[in-house]
Amino acid sequence: MKDAQASERPFSLEPAEQNALTEALDRMWAKFLPQIEERVGLLESSAAAFSAHELSVHQREAACAAAHKLAGVLGTFGLTRGTVLSRELEIMYSTQIGPSLAARLIELAAELRTIVANRK
Amino acid sequence: MSHRILIVDDEDDIREVAALSLETLAGWTVDVASSGAEGLARAIECQPEAIVLDVMMPGMDGPATFRELSKNPATAHIPVLLLTAKVQSSDQRRFADLGVAAVLFKPFDPLTLATQIEDALGWK
Repeated sequence: MKDAQASERPFSLEPAEQNALTEALDRMWAKFLPQIEERVGLLESSAAAFSAHELSVHQREAACAAAHKLAGVLGTFGLTRGTVLSRELEIMYSTQIGPSLAARLIELAAELRTIVANRK
Repeated sequence: MSHRILIVDDEDDIREVAALSLETLAGWTVDVASSGAEGLARAIECQPEAIVLDVMMPGMDGPATFRELSKNPATAHIPVLLLTAKVQSSDQRRFADLGVAAVLFKPFDPLTLATQIEDALGWK
């Protein structure tokens, strides 16, 4: 089995084609933004619930799934930092973390919100 | 050179960006499916040259779908590339042991996805 991650050579594009692809990606971002924002919102509410010692098992699983999905998609739209933060959240929600990390959960969700809001 | 690819992913954003990338940039023909079961049916019907298969899907997940594809004489010959956001080495070893052609990682770069697939499958 080959590890396909290392490939760096892109297909060559004329500037006009590059612009067309970028514009198409931007349209897709706009189309899927509500779904992405909903997932960020779920991470914000989960962080608040954890901070209040009210995070249910169901909420934790939902937060873990939301973080996983965001990690998979944000980098595809150029938001590499968003993927890094989402992966950290996925790991935190998939393990038993202590109350001392509540502030970190809130901080990560807030930064994700800013990253998503600032994408042009 | 044009190719025909099937993308199986329950996430519509991933599916659409991957299809856009492969159709626009590489000029390939792309079929899509949003579940493992639909992927099996589409693979039999479309006979793609390769299948990009998401790992985490509700119902029949990627590994289960791959096993079904491998058992079916109509699809056993089609190379499968798993697509995953799991980056831990234990997960990667588990996927490698399945016998897939390659593992692609999310997030992928739309500008290099076709090249990654070509390189993995020796199409260049």
